[in-house]
Amino acid sequence: MKVSIWFIASLGAVFLLGFFVLGSALFRLQCVDTGEFRADLQQQATRRIRVPGLRGRILDRNGEVLATCRPSHCIQCNVEEFQKRGAASNTVAAVEDAVVRLADAIGLKYPAELTRKRIERHIRQASAMPIVLWEDLDDATFARFAERSDEFPGFEDFTQAKRVYPHGQLAAHILGFTGRGRPDDADSAHFFEPDMRGRSGVESYYNRFLVGVTGERRVQVDARGFRPTKQREAMMEADLNSNLAPSAGLDLRLTIDANVQAVLESQLADVTGAGVVMDPRDGAVIALASAPAFNPNDCVPRISSETYATLTNAPAKRLQNRAISESYAPGSTFKPITAIASLACGWLPDDEYDCKGVYVLGNLRLHCWDRWGHGPISLRTALQKSCNTFFCNLGTAIGTNAVISAAREFGLGARTGIDLGGETAGVVPDNEWKRATYNERWYPGDTCQMSIGQGMLLVTPLQMAVVASALANGGKIFTPYLFARAEGQPRPEPVRTVQYPPDAIELVREGMRDVAERGTGRRILTRWEEPEDGAARRRRFNLKVTCAGKTGTAEIGAGATRRKNTWVIAFAPYENPTVAIAMIVERGESGGSTVAPRVHAVLAHMFGEVETSSSRTSGTALERAD
Amino acid sequence: MNAMLSKLRRMDWIMFACMIALIVIGVVFINSAGSVRPVEALRNLWRVHANTAAVGLVVYMAFAFLDYRKLIDWAALPVFAVSCVMLVAVLFVGTNRFGGRRWLWFFQPSEVAKLAVILFAVHVFAAAGRSGFRWFLAGVAIMGGPALLVLAEPDLGTAIVLVPSVLVILLAARVWTKGIVIMLAAIMIVAGTFLWTVDHAERQTDPDRREQIYKYVPLRSHQIQRLRVFLFPDADRSGAGYSIRQVRISIGSGGKWGKGLKKGEQKLLGYLPPAVSMNDFIFAVLAEEWGFMGVLSMLALFLGILVPGLRIAAQCNDDRGRLVVIGILTLVFCHTYVNVAMSVGLVPITGIPLPFISAGRTFLIVLMAALGIVQSVAVHRDGPEPEDGDTAT
Repeated sequence: MKVSIWFIASLGAVFLLGFFVLGSALFRLQCVDTGEFRADLQQQATRRIRVPGLRGRILDRNGEVLATCRPSHCIQCNVEEFQKRGAASNTVAAVEDAVVRLADAIGLKYPAELTRKRIERHIRQASAMPIVLWEDLDDATFARFAERSDEFPGFEDFTQAKRVYPHGQLAAHILGFTGRGRPDDADSAHFFEPDMRGRSGVESYYNRFLVGVTGERRVQVDARGFRPTKQREAMMEADLNSNLAPSAGLDLRLTIDANVQAVLESQLADVTGAGVVMDPRDGAVIALASAPAFNPNDCVPRISSETYATLTNAPAKRLQNRAISESYAPGSTFKPITAIASLACGWLPDDEYDCKGVYVLGNLRLHCWDRWGHGPISLRTALQKSCNTFFCNLGTAIGTNAVISAAREFGLGARTGIDLGGETAGVVPDNEWKRATYNERWYPGDTCQMSIGQGMLLVTPLQMAVVASALANGGKIFTPYLFARAEGQPRPEPVRTVQYPPDAIELVREGMRDVAERGTGRRILTRWEEPEDGAARRRRFNLKVTCAGKTGTAEIGAGATRRKNTWVIAFAPYENPTVAIAMIVERGESGGSTVAPRVHAVLAHMFGEVETSSSRTSGTALERAD
Repeated sequence: MNAMLSKLRRMDWIMFACMIALIVIGVVFINSAGSVRPVEALRNLWRVHANTAAVGLVVYMAFAFLDYRKLIDWAALPVFAVSCVMLVAVLFVGTNRFGGRRWLWFFQPSEVAKLAVILFAVHVFAAAGRSGFRWFLAGVAIMGGPALLVLAEPDLGTAIVLVPSVLVILLAARVWTKGIVIMLAAIMIVAGTFLWTVDHAERQTDPDRREQIYKYVPLRSHQIQRLRVFLFPDADRSGAGYSIRQVRISIGSGGKWGKGLKKGEQKLLGYLPPAVSMNDFIFAVLAEEWGFMGVLSMLALFLGILVPGLRIAAQCNDDRGRLVVIGILTLVFCHTYVNVAMSVGLVPITGIPLPFISAGRTFLIVLMAALGIVQSVAVHRDGPEPEDGDTAT
């Protein structure tokens, strides 16, 4: 015997040793390190998709819904169900064919943007994601699809949130609108579902409150990056139960009162202009409107380039929020500031100036609106009658710097800091500014112009609302805001109180009451109703509360382009003001005739009006003048 | 009839049962691996495996009842000659599949050659006095000739398992122990040099220098790549190292108890390369779905063939019997070991099937024939020499 038993035994030992080595290697892989391999498997076979949370609503101060989301029916194509062997173009063609057939069957147009190239790119880059084919289907179409969906495997319906603004145009410039965007943490995942992202207005400013917390959906993908087909999925047991549900965004309650907003907008409906209604006690914006406006529902889910072009076309520039991003010469509404500055500089309430109808300074001749002049006139009366020569003289008397610093003190020339984007600062001109801008020195005439709110001075309607509320509340400058504080939270403190003596402000307030009661702005307080039969006396309605105001008519341009921007600032009730308002109408007649009735309408809505019997005819001349 | 019954009684039934169990496992996992394939023929491959096993069973019984001594004395030379002719023929008229010319009509001559070479080696070296340097050279020629032909297909795996089976026979027959030890040492040195060279080349930062080194290595580029992947499994996860990484993830993620039959995610999601999951990497499917316990059971079943096999060899009083059993068991062991070891990353990847389990008709029939011969040794170990005629009881 050549082959010994020992050889056989040692061969057996080799076999056993070999199996022992294999067993230990397998023990290491499957028992010791199994967690690592499971993690590797998870990592390579899992795609994380960021899922946006439901966007929060926007409410007015009374809980009226201004912006919300509604479900919209969509149809998607699960590309993995159309995988074909061989070249990728086979799969692309299969998807395209199937979509064409489905479109025919349910009477929809083939989505134009779904080119072969796009399908191919989708399959290459995002094969784990479905292709969204149609969005926001009407119920009838959707029902047709639901009925026949069995015939079209690979297509699925799903519901998407769509932004909707129930009041249409109302408060459009405050709300803004949303577009499509990436969720904030989209980069931490493989894919994301598009989220709504505020593009303007508070939708944009408070986007981070409104967007929810994005969740994460995990899908399993095969080696080619596709989700398992329905058939394959049925063969698999474990699901990835580690999805993170998204949570909805916060509801945003605004200080806006939808009713006041509606009245304000209706008063601006036929003109180009803007208006701001503010609470002078804390700066809360009750209404803010810009006309002409737009319907934000036309701008979601994303604004098309045609819509965008239409809405930004001059001169209407519907997307522009004139209340904060357009600046105008304030005209006579600036006079209260000049007046306060002069009183602080030592001008006495009883000091008089003789208005002769024209103010001459060097070769500058500045006409008062009353050609024949107001005669000797004190400050309070000059405010009431809005005498230009008086204030030109006043400005010259107290000096350029006093006027400029008063304008700045009241917040002009700087952004108010409202919680909206796109605010402009306006211009409070001074020597350096003029040099830098026009390369000219400051002339005394510039001081005159500025004292009556003309020339280079530019303000936004919102700034004038802040001025009105400062005059209302005795000199406190507030930051206007739209985001309503929670109940029980203290009202915001003023940014500062203007550095002028209280009695100076009080005198000007009185002058402004005169304006509203019997001066250029008497239509703020009073509304005359034309009699129907023509014979009877005109009926007269007063606000139920006292009020004060100032009109303004700023002339701009010369010759053919000469036009008037007409203003009113006002506040009410006089004794304890709760409302301050500023309104501008471009190309108006005069502040007293064009804007004051509109302001009256807003105040009448808020405070009510009452018919009064006292018969006083309105002076036509006074009405048209400032 | 009586003779038949007594032969049946002398068969090793544990070994038989383990073989059947492994074939059943094979059918189950070929079915499992095929179930994710879109091609109908591949989904039904398990039926082919089962049918082949049925044919194989007839072959098995035939070889078990046929006296192995007759087989070795009379048939070994013609079988060896025919299979060498076929190995040559396949290089010219064979069907090219999976990157190699390995098929002659419906079967792979290289698989037949495995058994033919063993039988012929036993035929040559069982006789007395066949030792010394010359006979050693003859032994090298017996295994080297077919091995080179197989390598030319190319089929490195078969060439690799041919060598140890014959070497064990040479060693057991004490042909020239010194030479075999030297040869083993030489093989190890060559293999070590290859590994060291690849390792050295891969550590070069200059790619030109790397290319220069590889120019002197007498290996094909895909073989170099396999060595590279073996040495640096994590270096090229999405390229050359993809398969082995996915195989390891499949095995590792199976855990202790596995994910359940047909529920392997790696397989279902197509990460485990589907082209090889039914043949060379079917072990990964088994390990993923049945886990460590399943794997241990499988290894136990293989031991259930190897250990009774060795006992049959030990109980046999005839060198031919001992040698043929040792050669066949070594063949089975090498296949199993290399297949599992490459799956877990202990050896570089070589295309080599897992006995009884991997899909492959020729190999299954050859294996069953081989185990039939082992049974024949068990059945005929005490019987008289066949020269006495076929009347023995």
